[in-house]
Amino acid sequence: MAYVEQLPRSLPRTREEPSRICCVTGLKVYAGAQALTVANAVAAVLALAMGGIFGTLVGMTRAPGVEALQPNAFYVALTGHGVAALILWPVFFEVAAIVLASSILLNARVFSMKMGWSAFFLMVSGGLMLVIAIVTDVRNAVMFTAYPPLVANQIFYLGYLIFAVGVVLALVNFALSIAAARAEGVYKGSLPLLTYGVAAAAILAMLSLASGLVALIPAWLYANGWIGAVEPIVYRTWFWGLGHTLQYVNVVAMVVAWYGILALTLRAGPVNQKFSRIAFVLYIVISLPVLGHHFLVDPSLGNEVKIVGGSIMGFLLGVPSLMHGLAVMGGAEYELRRRGATGLFGWLKRLKWGHAGIAALTGSLLIFATGGWSGTVETTLPLNLVTHNTMNVPGHLHQTVVGGMTLAFMGFAYYLLPMLIRRELWSHRLATIQAYGYTFGMLLMTSAQIWAGAVGVPRRTAEIGYGGETPDSWQLPMDIAGAGVAISGLAGGLFIVIMVMTLLRGKRSEDAARLVPQGAA
Amino acid sequence: MWLVAVSVVAMTAFTIAWVAGFGDQNVPDNTYRTTPAAFQQQVDEFTQKYLGDDGKVHVPPGEDAYLMAQRYGFTPELVLEAGNEYTIWMSSRDVLHGFSLIGDNLNLNLEIVPEHALALTLKAEKAGTYLVICNEYCGLQHHLMRGHIIVEE
Repeated sequence: MAYVEQLPRSLPRTREEPSRICCVTGLKVYAGAQALTVANAVAAVLALAMGGIFGTLVGMTRAPGVEALQPNAFYVALTGHGVAALILWPVFFEVAAIVLASSILLNARVFSMKMGWSAFFLMVSGGLMLVIAIVTDVRNAVMFTAYPPLVANQIFYLGYLIFAVGVVLALVNFALSIAAARAEGVYKGSLPLLTYGVAAAAILAMLSLASGLVALIPAWLYANGWIGAVEPIVYRTWFWGLGHTLQYVNVVAMVVAWYGILALTLRAGPVNQKFSRIAFVLYIVISLPVLGHHFLVDPSLGNEVKIVGGSIMGFLLGVPSLMHGLAVMGGAEYELRRRGATGLFGWLKRLKWGHAGIAALTGSLLIFATGGWSGTVETTLPLNLVTHNTMNVPGHLHQTVVGGMTLAFMGFAYYLLPMLIRRELWSHRLATIQAYGYTFGMLLMTSAQIWAGAVGVPRRTAEIGYGGETPDSWQLPMDIAGAGVAISGLAGGLFIVIMVMTLLRGKRSEDAARLVPQGAA
Repeated sequence: MWLVAVSVVAMTAFTIAWVAGFGDQNVPDNTYRTTPAAFQQQVDEFTQKYLGDDGKVHVPPGEDAYLMAQRYGFTPELVLEAGNEYTIWMSSRDVLHGFSLIGDNLNLNLEIVPEHALALTLKAEKAGTYLVICNEYCGLQHHLMRGHIIVEE
């Protein structure tokens, strides 16, 4: 890779930057890298707060026993929920992760702080434009998918595009930071596993954004009346090139958070790193054609294409996820046996179950596994006739993106934030309650949604009465899902409180054992 | 060892998919390109031909039926005879819609896309009134969009 070593030498690297040594990991933390990581993480938490409030309102409207919002307000809240919780929250957190992985984890600086802050401010502006467009004008309640010929105001599309340009800048900065770190010789050999995983996520993010630009630029032109039409199937294809590939960015980032929690709280890693690296590469190879499963019951594509692109590639995608799941659990088992655990389940007894990190990791692994299962059912061509656009779909995606990814990010944040700002977590006990509460609420909500989907309840619908013509079997699962929403909404709110209180009130500390408490004896 | 275990799981899933793929209930892939105006004309001609006194369209067995989705309804109301197989062509006048057919133990969902017509072939087995609802978000009155397919003995 000679060219990689050549590239950054020609660039000026004269600036001096203060740094410290992390008392937990022994890594060199530069002030700029720390500030940029914290800024992106804080933006992520605020976006999650917004997405969570919208989501709770949506869930409370879908429960027939509550019906909190009028239809117009419901569609606004649902669009806002999709944008804030599915786009802004994960992407801000992932940008925090890519800054962290390309600087602090490599003992290196961020390549260009200017580029890093420009990316951040573009993403914040784009995100704000999107949210403001949605909450100020009900005509912009076109869902985050915005399928043309349905159109929104151009601010909506511009918000998307500006946000995307910000992410592209952050990704370029990521690649240059790694190249510069290698040229400076601050790390040797292969990238550390977490950085390797984040690099896989970055590659997927680049593919995803390229596809998103192809979808959204024509949609923006069409919304302004500058072009006459957008072919709906073509838009759907490119949009899901963004939308679905982005979910695999989320999955990869979730796996990185799993390994991060494992390393910090159990001092454990995968038994075989090569195995985990292969699994990361498999995601890149397999995930792109899988967008086909969004069109399984659309007109225009042949069933052969749907079976290969949607179903079979969808099943294959389960392989890297299963590999990582086994590697994480196997890594924990191996480390605890090394410390003297005996018997078949002796290692499980050694885990501190009243510990926030262990609770979040367990919940995330468990719910993500159910999500893989429901996803495999939905991506099977004939079964999609039953599940398409029913509550099955939000059931599945909340298992993967919320129960899996969001819970893993929460668990990771319980260590990451204290280490970065050198303040102890505000309350470990509440964090543990939070993780278990969120796990329970999400399991209840998603199971009820899958049940509702199986009997035909549609997704994205303000009311399910249809003049009293719908089956009685629709009511109960939707009310149970509402109970799950209430529990996970409260637990989600608790996460925000813990994060904000840690930022403002956490006890300053340089004690590794208090910043990152160990999750096993 | 784990790799083998994982591969076995994946291969089992493949097998299930292939077997399921040859079952009785399959996704229709009979489609053609159209325009909203051209499809509307087909729907109108079909409606005029078979419109009954009750304001519903009685589809004779062996004839293709046409169904237009438009904000916020499905037209016309189709009446089928139990025991016969029908092909229903559907498309959209404006934006994307969903076709969700709801009945006792029946839940079948398709995507309706403007400029594309999709044919659903089904057998009308049991008499009754079946609800058709839109399950792709199409506008602010999306939750009111519904239609019916009636099966008579």
